[in-house]
Amino acid sequence: MGSPMEMNGGSVIAMTGKDCVAIASDLRLGQQAVGLSADFEKVFPINNQLYVGLPGFATDTYTLREHLRFRVNMYRMKEEREITPKTFAHLLSSTLYEKRFGPYFIEPVIAGIPAPSAIDPDPKPFICNMDTIGCITTPKDFVVAGTATDKLYGVAEGLWEPDLEPEDLFETISQTLLAAVDRDCISGWGAVVHVITKDKIITRHLKGRMD
Amino acid sequence: MSVKDPITGGSGIGFDFSNHARNQHLGARMGGLPKATSTGTTIVGVKFGGGDSGVEEGVCLGADTRATGGPIVADKNCEKIHYIADHIRCCGAGTAADTEFVTNLISSNIELHALSTGRKPQVVTAMTMLKQYLFQYQGHVGAYLVIGGVDNTGSHLFTVAAHGSTDKLPYVTMGSGSMAAMAVFESSFKEHMTRQEAIDLVARAIRSGVFNDLGSGSNVDVCIIKKDKTEMLRNYEMPNERGEKTRQYKFRRGTTAWTKEDVRSLVVSETTTPVAAPLAAEAMDIS
Amino acid sequence: MSAPGGGGAYSFSLTTFSPSGKLVQIEHALAAVSGGQTSLGIKAKNGVVLATEKKTPSPLVDDSSLEKVAMICPNIGFVYAGMGPDYRVLVAKARKIAQSYWKVYGEYPPVKVLVADVAAVMQKATQSGGVRPYGISLLVCGWDNHRGQSLYQIDPSGSFWAWKASAIGKNMSNAKTFLEKRYSDDISLEDAIHTALLTLKEGFEGEMTEKTIEIGIASVPTAEQMEVKSGERLPATFRKLSEAEVRDYLAL
Repeated sequence: MGSPMEMNGGSVIAMTGKDCVAIASDLRLGQQAVGLSADFEKVFPINNQLYVGLPGFATDTYTLREHLRFRVNMYRMKEEREITPKTFAHLLSSTLYEKRFGPYFIEPVIAGIPAPSAIDPDPKPFICNMDTIGCITTPKDFVVAGTATDKLYGVAEGLWEPDLEPEDLFETISQTLLAAVDRDCISGWGAVVHVITKDKIITRHLKGRMD
Repeated sequence: MSVKDPITGGSGIGFDFSNHARNQHLGARMGGLPKATSTGTTIVGVKFGGGDSGVEEGVCLGADTRATGGPIVADKNCEKIHYIADHIRCCGAGTAADTEFVTNLISSNIELHALSTGRKPQVVTAMTMLKQYLFQYQGHVGAYLVIGGVDNTGSHLFTVAAHGSTDKLPYVTMGSGSMAAMAVFESSFKEHMTRQEAIDLVARAIRSGVFNDLGSGSNVDVCIIKKDKTEMLRNYEMPNERGEKTRQYKFRRGTTAWTKEDVRSLVVSETTTPVAAPLAAEAMDIS
Repeated sequence: MSAPGGGGAYSFSLTTFSPSGKLVQIEHALAAVSGGQTSLGIKAKNGVVLATEKKTPSPLVDDSSLEKVAMICPNIGFVYAGMGPDYRVLVAKARKIAQSYWKVYGEYPPVKVLVADVAAVMQKATQSGGVRPYGISLLVCGWDNHRGQSLYQIDPSGSFWAWKASAIGKNMSNAKTFLEKRYSDDISLEDAIHTALLTLKEGFEGEMTEKTIEIGIASVPTAEQMEVKSGERLPATFRKLSEAEVRDYLAL
């Protein structure tokens, strides 16, 4: 049998574009090789311009999502402001590291655009990912996680290019995800893509292989 | 029984073991727990100047920038030279999350220490805090560190291993590329080098790791610490730049077939429709 | 959970209501504050200033060890009126609160959040068994990305307010009247520092020197200063003025 990380299957990817970010996941939930559901989303909104993907062990996806919802709601009430992507990344990272010796089996992916402020009127799009114990990596181009990690890295490395407009970014991230999950038995069964820009969020459900 | 923090849900201080039993059970049943990102790494440090050389004494630290997760390169340009204080820096190898969090913890404690004593903290203080913390966890916190800095008592260079042992040497290396880097130091180190000689030697040692050790790669980061100046030379050398793509790989818009779309506009538009004043007869009865 | 100070079920709060609905312990604490040396704060359009008098009871006291204005974290500073020992305890607690916030969020707390947390510590001392309220009022100044520069006061009861300018301690009512006359919304930090010194001078017994005055300032940084550089920390927006700087301001 595989480890908890490969128990349910599923993959997430995020990419940066020109004044936009995109985050996408497949929709499969399985019990090892047995597919159970084709509408298991792994990417969740945190606020208007911040999304988090939580691929890995499905029960931990839920546990962590609810825990984060609680923490972000408390933050919003206490600080009377929305959490920024970078601050949220630190919050999630320290949450995971607290369980260093009994981790959640989740490799989070974060994508968002920070709200403009007096100090930073034109903030850059933000993406990052982490391992199961909260070590953050923040590359300029793309981040991936889940059971199709290896394939996603390969395809994204070939297809990503800088300064893609939202509609072009949608095509690139979609094709990257679809190509990678088609070569992963336990990812796939459809996909969902969120493209985040300054003034809107476009969510599209993709047509994918169902085998 | 531990008191749970109502906000974090954790114990507030230190680690929360509440998932440990479950994970051991899952690990035993399903074979193998996932491996964390590790920095299969080359990190080094040398002391330079001092003595009768007339060169201001200081410490030069170096690191590669590859982070790995098993055989996969998880980050091509990560930062392994961590901030402890303005005049103390620390290179980390081993479990990436551990090096990140242990250096943050000690940096935080050093800042509290500096505020309450009103003095510049010493390098030995940071080193002692690190070793005592790591020893407490008997090597389970997998941080292998090179710590260097300049304080009122001079320039200092140490290594700290995950079990809590420390070394104090004029030139040190750690990580999976430590042998490759040490080979360079053993053949070329000399005492009382100039600043530039130290930088060149450190960069050569890191390059030796980058090209000969599979766990190390990408770029060379260098940090020079002198009495009143710390220079962080991020990506001092970039010997592994990727060639530019000769053509674009953009997809024609409309390539991807989708079944459902939802557009959430964040721009709120309002239209105000003036409503005629109510007729007297229709006025609300408020008596 | 047992209350701080121990005693378990047999410890009860020393702060109890009088039949008229007053908590006299808190009023006594406020009396301790009113007896303390005067401190004041002024919010300017590009920063905040804290100032306090620091007089020693005897010329034999070595004043180099006395510190009344304290940095809590790189963006926040405190000053107080009332009991010095209580202040040092709260400063140590506030610094710990700021550091634990940093360890979770990777940034220092906004001024209002730290103020609310420190106020909660002070409130706890009015309701717990075996303890007395803190005998101090605090003036808190700082800058953060969310609300910009701000000035707060926290009282022994744990209540707090934001101020444009305020004073606490022995001479507070005179100082406040003076500040009301002098304050304008578009005052610069430089002018605010001078106004702070002028206010302190009203009713100052003895000579105002760099040894008997302490000043702390929070300033609004530029976007460039707040740019994150790899391997570096953001520069502090709060700092204490050195004795030489205080001397220069007094000479003007």
